[in-house]
Amino acid sequence: MEKTVGADAVWAYRKDVAKRISFITICIVSVFFVILLSGSIGTTYGFWDVYEVIYERIMGITHPTASPEWWRSHYIWNNSLPPIIISVIAGAGLAIGGTVMQSLMGNPLADPYTTGISSGASLGAVSAIVTGFTFSSISGEMGIVSSAFLGALIPAFLVIFLTRFVGNSPTTMILIGVAISYFFNSMVTYLMITTDTDKLQEAFLWQIGSVSGTGWGDIPLMLTIVVFSGIAVGLVSNKLNLMMLGDKSAKSMGLDIENFRTLCLLLLAFLVASIISYTGIIGFVGLITPHVVRFIIGGDNRFVAPASVAMGAFILVSANLISNLLMPIGDIPIGVVMSFVGAPIFLYLILRSKAGRDMF
Amino acid sequence: MIFFLLCIIGSVFLFVYSLGVGHFDCGILEAFDIIGKSLRGEELARQTKHIIWYGRTPSGLMAIAAGAILAAGGGVMQTLLRNPLADPYSMGISSGALFGVSIAVIMGISIYDSSQSYAVILNAFVFALVPMAIILMASRRGDMTPSKIILTGIAVMFVFSAFSTTLMLTTDSETLATVYSWRVGTLDGISWASLGIVSVVGVIGISFLLTQARKYNVMTAGDNSAKSMGVDPKRTTLVGMTVISLMTATVVCFTGTIGFVGLVGPHIARLFVGSESKFLIPAAAGFGGIFLLASSCVARVSGPLGLPVGVISAMVGCPLFIIILVKMRSNVWGSGV
Repeated sequence: MEKTVGADAVWAYRKDVAKRISFITICIVSVFFVILLSGSIGTTYGFWDVYEVIYERIMGITHPTASPEWWRSHYIWNNSLPPIIISVIAGAGLAIGGTVMQSLMGNPLADPYTTGISSGASLGAVSAIVTGFTFSSISGEMGIVSSAFLGALIPAFLVIFLTRFVGNSPTTMILIGVAISYFFNSMVTYLMITTDTDKLQEAFLWQIGSVSGTGWGDIPLMLTIVVFSGIAVGLVSNKLNLMMLGDKSAKSMGLDIENFRTLCLLLLAFLVASIISYTGIIGFVGLITPHVVRFIIGGDNRFVAPASVAMGAFILVSANLISNLLMPIGDIPIGVVMSFVGAPIFLYLILRSKAGRDMF
Repeated sequence: MIFFLLCIIGSVFLFVYSLGVGHFDCGILEAFDIIGKSLRGEELARQTKHIIWYGRTPSGLMAIAAGAILAAGGGVMQTLLRNPLADPYSMGISSGALFGVSIAVIMGISIYDSSQSYAVILNAFVFALVPMAIILMASRRGDMTPSKIILTGIAVMFVFSAFSTTLMLTTDSETLATVYSWRVGTLDGISWASLGIVSVVGVIGISFLLTQARKYNVMTAGDNSAKSMGVDPKRTTLVGMTVISLMTATVVCFTGTIGFVGLVGPHIARLFVGSESKFLIPAAAGFGGIFLLASSCVARVSGPLGLPVGVISAMVGCPLFIIILVKMRSNVWGSGV
């Protein structure tokens, strides 16, 4: 990089940067656009009702209990808005989880759940649903959430702990993670086939993942952790770039890869656990978003990380919008919507992509 | 080679042992007696003959055949795609098959004559191959790097999964339970006819992969070196993947999607024999066979109803895998896989 570079190359680089930044800007603008649209979709209320309610709430205007205005305010504030906000947070968080995991492991198949987090969370939630046993001895709705959260952390810690004995290469980490997630999943399967069919259905629904039915109380923890992780990943994105070159190159550039990887995995464990314990296992967005971003703007993590945040939020909030639009037909969870709409687009991007555009 | 022979000998012993194991207890000699009489066509008490001859014998042999096919297929797939996370289902076979089963069970739609009992099997087989067909078509235009192939497989898988999930969500909880148990995979109710089909396909498929072993080795050195050695990497990859897909689809349509053995089986074999395909393929096949058979034995004694073999193989295999990994402390996954 230190050698003299021609003016053309500098200009080309700047143009590239400008393109990347404008892509990120477009994503962020689209997120806000979709949020503005989402408010009234799938409800009987009009487009402006939503903003009236928000205005009223902010200004502290109240209505007499059980009047039509009160119902409107109550419904929009407590039922319509939280899922939208949660889908933005969850999309951003899962996408950044996927980006970091793929860079850490140097593997295009890695996603936020690679260390077995989803299987642990499933075990926590399904055991709470099926047997009533929770890891946190809290019962009811919060019992499922807290049990899923604690369950999610177990496999991640096991992976970190076990790799200390085996040597900390990405491949052994991935394999241990996969083996552990098979183990936990087999226990989930055992619980699900031995229970009655109704509980099977409830557990199955939890595993698919959904943002509907979430409330304001679910937001603070998730938001805090996602924002914190986002900033942390932004700070280390240069190091992530080194990791993608492979362990040897990263080491020779002076990076303490073992500790760096462990720290990142810990961060990811809390990030992903805080999201999926409220929403269930939302697939697709964490795995696909970083690839889509890389296809469009290339593999430099300083840009991929923020772009994935914006893109992930956009994908999930749009899926929520479409899912609400489809409400008259049936309650189709956002995970399914994403796959239906997103997978063909993704396929098209893969087939169209130029050689060398994908980082892997 | 020793590892492979050990696996073979182990399988034979375990198979003999497995005949006597289960809810209906009977000695090994008695089991042999029953098999001998069945082969000679003598009359037997209906119940014992039913359990041993139509139940345990084909199901035990199927465990060996299915385990061998899945593990050998997984090992080659990992080599071809240069990814340790690849398994025989990487081409979306499991999601395609599940889709076929879902539409057969839930909507009653099938390729051919939905009233027949083989409608579900046929549906599973045909739809299992659809993702592979899409990948083959896509590969005709433009170069397919291993990571592009993997991502294409994932994209196709997501589409099929979305369809199946929608169907499973719209149906009642009873039908959901049927489809769900298919997805978990089981070795119960295997007939002699299906065993025959699977073994023939398995023998042909694995032999073919063995003949290609030299090419796979050359390819691990990278595409350019492969080309200079006279191996066309793209062609070899696609042919190998097609053969694996056909083998896997044959297994899956009879047993459901049995996980774990196809992904972790080859890795365990790798820990013993290294990554060279010539040794890896037979070792993985041998280990896969004995491992699935052992799992099915454990599954059978685990309760009166028995647990699905997929569940047991993961529960037993995961600690086993980690112990072996920690004990050997080796890194056989150097460059590539």
